Amino acid sequence: MAELDRREFLKLVGTSAGAAAAVGCSDLPEKLIPYVVQPEEITPGLPVIYASTCQECSAGCGVHVRTREGRPIKLEGNPEHPINRGKLCARGQAGLGRTYHPDRYQSALERDASGALAPVAWDQAIARLGAAVSAAGRRTAVLTSPLGPTLSGLLDSWLAATGGGMRVEYEPFAPEALRHAAEVVFGVASVPVFDLSDTDFVIDFGSDCLSTGLSPVEHARQLSAARDAAKESARAARLVYVGPRLDETASQSDEWLAPKPGTEGILALAIARAAVDAATGPDGEIGVAASAIARQLSGFGADAVAARTEVPAETIRRIGASLARARRPVALPPGVALSSSRATSTAAAVLFLNAAIGAVGHTVQVPPAPSRAPSFRDTTRLIEAMKAGDVDVLIVHGANPVHTLPSASGFAAALGKVKLVVSIASMPDETSALAHLVLPDHTTAESWGDAAPRPGVRSIVQPTLRPLYDTRAFGDTLLDTARAIGAAAAANLPAGSFRSAVEAAWKDTNWRAALQRGGVFDGGAWSSPGIAEGVARLQFKEPEIAGDGDFVLLAVPSPMLGDGRGANLGLLQETPDPITKIAWQSWAEISTKSADSLGVRPGDVLAVETASGKLEVPVWPRGGLRNDVVAIAFGQGHTVGSFAAATPDEYSTGLRAGERPAPGPARGVNVNAILPAQSDESGGRAFLVAKAKVGKTGRFQRLPYTQGTDNKRGRLLGESISLAALAAGGPSPWAPNETPGHVPGALAAVPAAAEHGETGERRAAAGHGGEHEILRAYDPVNDSVAEDPYRWGMTIDVDKCTGCSACIVACAVENNIPTVGESLILRNRTMQWIRIERWIGEGEPVLEPARPDVESREQLGNVDVRNAPMLCQHCGAAPCEPVCPVFATYHSPSGLNGMTYNRCIGTRYCSNNCPYKVRRFNWFDYQIERWPDPMGLGLNPDVTVRAQGVMEKCTFCVQRIQAARLTAKGEKRAVAAGEVQTACQQTCPTGAIVFDNLKLADNKAGAAANANAGRTYHALHPVNTRPAITYLAKVAREEGHEA
Amino acid sequence: MRDRARPSLLAVIALAAVAAWIAADLGDGAKATAESTTPEAGTRVARSVCEAHELRELQKKDPDLKVDFGEFKDATWPTRAACLSHAAAGDPDAPGPLQPIQFSHKHHAGLYQIDCQYCHSGTDRSPSAGVPATEVCMGCHAQFPASYDELEGIRTLKDHWAKKQPIEWVQIHRLPEYVQFQHRAHVRAGFACQECHGKVETYDKLPLVEETVWWPWLLPAHKLEMGWCIDCHRRNNATQDCAACHY
Repeated sequence: MAELDRREFLKLVGTSAGAAAAVGCSDLPEKLIPYVVQPEEITPGLPVIYASTCQECSAGCGVHVRTREGRPIKLEGNPEHPINRGKLCARGQAGLGRTYHPDRYQSALERDASGALAPVAWDQAIARLGAAVSAAGRRTAVLTSPLGPTLSGLLDSWLAATGGGMRVEYEPFAPEALRHAAEVVFGVASVPVFDLSDTDFVIDFGSDCLSTGLSPVEHARQLSAARDAAKESARAARLVYVGPRLDETASQSDEWLAPKPGTEGILALAIARAAVDAATGPDGEIGVAASAIARQLSGFGADAVAARTEVPAETIRRIGASLARARRPVALPPGVALSSSRATSTAAAVLFLNAAIGAVGHTVQVPPAPSRAPSFRDTTRLIEAMKAGDVDVLIVHGANPVHTLPSASGFAAALGKVKLVVSIASMPDETSALAHLVLPDHTTAESWGDAAPRPGVRSIVQPTLRPLYDTRAFGDTLLDTARAIGAAAAANLPAGSFRSAVEAAWKDTNWRAALQRGGVFDGGAWSSPGIAEGVARLQFKEPEIAGDGDFVLLAVPSPMLGDGRGANLGLLQETPDPITKIAWQSWAEISTKSADSLGVRPGDVLAVETASGKLEVPVWPRGGLRNDVVAIAFGQGHTVGSFAAATPDEYSTGLRAGERPAPGPARGVNVNAILPAQSDESGGRAFLVAKAKVGKTGRFQRLPYTQGTDNKRGRLLGESISLAALAAGGPSPWAPNETPGHVPGALAAVPAAAEHGETGERRAAAGHGGEHEILRAYDPVNDSVAEDPYRWGMTIDVDKCTGCSACIVACAVENNIPTVGESLILRNRTMQWIRIERWIGEGEPVLEPARPDVESREQLGNVDVRNAPMLCQHCGAAPCEPVCPVFATYHSPSGLNGMTYNRCIGTRYCSNNCPYKVRRFNWFDYQIERWPDPMGLGLNPDVTVRAQGVMEKCTFCVQRIQAARLTAKGEKRAVAAGEVQTACQQTCPTGAIVFDNLKLADNKAGAAANANAGRTYHALHPVNTRPAITYLAKVAREEGHEA
Repeated sequence: MRDRARPSLLAVIALAAVAAWIAADLGDGAKATAESTTPEAGTRVARSVCEAHELRELQKKDPDLKVDFGEFKDATWPTRAACLSHAAAGDPDAPGPLQPIQFSHKHHAGLYQIDCQYCHSGTDRSPSAGVPATEVCMGCHAQFPASYDELEGIRTLKDHWAKKQPIEWVQIHRLPEYVQFQHRAHVRAGFACQECHGKVETYDKLPLVEETVWWPWLLPAHKLEMGWCIDCHRRNNATQDCAACHY
């Protein structure tokens, strides 16, 4: 043993201690793995943006995919895309979640002897499919969602080459009735394009156009521009909504009519007749083929129809007259919820109305008919063939018919008669759970493809990351299967991969330019169609709604989950429904009056029974509903999927990192279980077809709702002003609040300076700098350090906000906000940094001590809903700052209310002291417990992932501010007006949110406030917080101020 | 974000003492000789270019030393400096973790004065400095004489390149996750890389950055701690806003 002297000993001890401490403190060693060959366009640390197309619904919005080091982390609208112009809805924002979904199929799977799905080699799986298809020949069937043009063409050739099987295009909520109505009325079987830009009168017959209609982002953007209150009041468009339920669009409307469900078409005809009657003299011509339509209208006088629809005759005449006067009116036909067994004639009636008010050719365009469209009749035929044993091989792609078809259609049972069911799904759903062979598809972010949402818009889908797993594009699966069958089958199909097929299909364009722009957009100017002869043969009468029971069952599409395809995305489950503010669950809406007569309170479980089945679902009484209607949303009721199906309480069962809760029973209910399988006159699926018996079960289930009350009790939140008051000019009625105390002389009388001296010192110490009085007039610019060139602020237009919640999802994706799950929402532990408060009416001026648990102030027929996005107000005198014992939250020199996570010790004093309740506490290490692999890959590397015990809140997307500041600094300039966009602002379809540096003379947030100076207010400002967010009050457009 | 409790100082010292005795014991036997001596006539045989360099040096000091240079008589590549740096970079006893390749910053940035940003390109554009792609290494090394392959590090590099396999370096400078450091801002402001990273060009093997600054009582002061950042920001009148780095 060598001698070790004291000096050597200390040296060694020091080194080891250092190494031990280093390892203990900072998780070393971490690996740095560089590229082997660094792609030219990638600089680690900087984003690369690709143009692609959203595939979450069939609207076909263009997206920009922001990637970091080869991983997409955020979707934003493509500003060049003609449909969405840079905006995206909540579902689009959440779309990336599919790629990083923990449920994803990671290889081809085959059902083994035990009945479980086991991995199988792709070659083997393709060989099995090839053999089955060549044996089955014409007894093959392919059921797909609507496909892009290239994939659709390939599938046609594939079917022809492999024996001529059956092809079915299936879209649960396809506007089939409207397409058939267009065929009858215009002679063109295509879905008309409704242009709401620059309109001055919109009447929506129940399509919920702002949320689940034909093209929600496009329509929300156009309508908000047309209704901009900053424009001269006479031009601001009026919105009338027709439907039994006050939905998102209805809550934005100026007038809501709730006719008897199913009579919307008759009402449309009566309004058309009234419009024709009102238009006298030379202006009285009512567009093309007036006589054919006029003959049809003759039987629908206002008085006769009033009795049939329960809408007063004078209302019909008044709206008809308004429409006749309007410059660019438009009427929107019913959507899914109101598709009755007479949906085609109802849609035709609305097209009549459009013709009568001269909208056709202007606000209503009819594009050329597509070669293929989704068909419920084909789907029904397929089910019949399956039942008869005539289908040997069924390939299902992009659809979940087991969940989305009515249980009464017998699809699940019919699947049992098919010898080989092949699913192309990329993650498990109820249909793939019954498949014999799963050949998983790439997700949209991994795929090539294209979309043609309408003539004149060709949009491209390009991959933005290498496929995470051993999956294969559906196009390649088809090509490989044909090659496995034999050279003869493959001969008629494109050589090479599906990618080369896409490129070949675009060879008439500049491929690289198309990739860069996201597609080719040459607009679509279509010839104005005439009125077809078939019009005369149309018959209009009330549909039969079968069954006994006092209620009409209204099955409505979910704004977040759609037909259910969004249910396995945690972000969409966690985003509250824009109307009821309930997340993660199903509920049945009935009117408060019905609830009173049934004797039920919110959360009491109801039994809803039709001839087709029975569901038990908690009730949510509300005012915005006819008394004879029970409404249940589609989307829930899944039994497969980590987020879609119910799981045991993750936080009470003691699950540890990496453990996955076992799938439980269905989450919520699937309304398809009680809907009969019925179609309308032209074969499209009808949804408004059943009456329901509603009864009590005696059970109670607490619903996870995120807004305790819709009554603001006179506080300065969600304000409203009448158009007449606004037109009269003058300062905002809330201006007196701008000086706290708002009683003359009160400012001097408040002994604040001495009492709050300590607060002032603290704020100065926290980096605020400068002298500050505690009370002073509102002037946010002075709430940043004078020498600092920035004071960040925001203007939010409550009049424009539709409550669509795209901002909530965009914020969550941008800022790595976890989903917490139903159990924690029930404990009010939501994490979202922005919420949309939905206030109704003015509210009582005083707080009642004994208020009921939940109340609904919605009144049937009376629309006064204000959606006020609520996020951190970045107050100039923030109540959270002085109470933080460790200065974790502080006022930044640029006026931001900063939150330093690593300083936070979790006292939650700040949250308790925040009047807006926008601060969120990490009760758990969500990063470990809620982001199972590979969800972490989608995190934004520019934003810290917060740990347990830390408070967090909206930062005004400070990472974007810092990036812009550094870029500007590098170019030796200041950040320009409008250069920084927060995530919520960027995606807002209506442009309700404007963010900017208030110190710039030309700043956009200030400009928006100045242009609407008559309706500005600051939330809860009487408590003297000096918020950086200026709200613009909702405008009540009373009758008489319409065009 | 997760702060682990630092191990108690006493426990560390006790553990380290035990480790030190064991290490000292093993150290004697583990010492390997760089060259071998032929027993007869005391002639020493060079078996590689690097050995030839060393024997030539020994010969200078001791002209009587008989050396058989063999095929390496006139070989100059790799240079002696390369050989020494390579050996030093792979020295397991030197401070710092062993890297997959015996890469010497002293050799590249010091001796040959290759600009830091030649390899760590993008540092002036991006928040992160980044580690060069294997392709960047091969840009030079593919042009070097084959005799360089006698260095293990070069063989490892070429092997990774041939297999198109990335090199997994061990991270030396690690900021906590809640800090957003912007390389570009500091490079553009004209700060030398050495201000934060130390004299990297004088190290063959890079030590962990925590070990680079010492408090008097033998505890490491973490060089990348906030006090150290903010001290420099104060001196240079740079921002001291928390939200500039923490978000």
